[in-house]
Amino acid sequence: MAEDWKAAWQPMIDAVGKDFSDGKPIEGADVVGKGLIRRYLEPLEFDCALHYDEETAKQHGYKTIIAPYSSLITWAQPAYWIPGKPLFTSDDRDAQPTNSPVSDPAANIDLMPETSHYFATNIEVDYLRPIYVGDRLSKVGLILRSCIPKETSVGKGAFMIWESDIVNQDGEKVAVYRIETYSYNPHES
Amino acid sequence: MREKQERYWEDVQEGDELPSLQFPLSVYRLVMAASANQDFNSIHHNSEYAKKTGAPDMYANNIFLQGMWERTVREYIGNAGVIKSLRNFRMRSFNTVGDTVVTKGKVKRKWIEDGEHFIEIEMVSENAKGISVGPGSIIATLPSKRA
Repeated sequence: MAEDWKAAWQPMIDAVGKDFSDGKPIEGADVVGKGLIRRYLEPLEFDCALHYDEETAKQHGYKTIIAPYSSLITWAQPAYWIPGKPLFTSDDRDAQPTNSPVSDPAANIDLMPETSHYFATNIEVDYLRPIYVGDRLSKVGLILRSCIPKETSVGKGAFMIWESDIVNQDGEKVAVYRIETYSYNPHES
Repeated sequence: MREKQERYWEDVQEGDELPSLQFPLSVYRLVMAASANQDFNSIHHNSEYAKKTGAPDMYANNIFLQGMWERTVREYIGNAGVIKSLRNFRMRSFNTVGDTVVTKGKVKRKWIEDGEHFIEIEMVSENAKGISVGPGSIIATLPSKRA
């Protein structure tokens, strides 16, 4: 049947509203730091003194330098390499690391049909607090908000919306983050 | 350090257009962006890998594209503006290496709520093929002259 691939997504459609996390915060790899913020600004050529000058930040009511809002997920992202666990195990030109914190949010979810690729398609964020130098952010929760199977120009798969809270080291909610991804299998060439 | 003029809520009118910014996408810049925002998915820095996934070439990652909107908005609202939310940051097509992303913004509405002075800025990113991100919006607050 031509539409069999859509039926394979029904368990995920039925799971809309479910929190697929184990409830534990997933801590970002790095403390928010001036040096890492500086590097974040470089490819954007983003000249805003709130992000590199403490005096300016304090003049505007912040306790210290703040990170750009768009860098939220950079700080909430776990490490690629974990000491003791090899990351690069192949010399194939396009070999992938054994671990990636930017993997599909739906990876390792048993209900989901197998897909080989994914990319992000939509982002929505409510920013509730500034991200300060010295903060350590964590991601909490992974709630499936939507699942819509669809064939696109790149393949067959489904668009899914995932919602997480981003909290700081004091457990204060910094943001509510929603990402829509497209998980798919490419068309056969 | 670049000094920016602060913008007050009373100075903003619905329909005001933000100055556009251009972001030429070279391999160098995309690699630098991946390192800066830690999204090392190979689709963002490896042409051969990206093409295997169905994309025309390596393309800018979503955090880098979000940063383009934030810089555009920040240069308009000034340092006293506070960004509150991002809405409908929909990536419609790939922003591939060799292209230039142009950000455009327009003040869609302004209002007062719970004593705070809000503006909603409608944003798009365009490349050689047209709109590639959006239309979405960034909602921010500005200082008021009456405060």
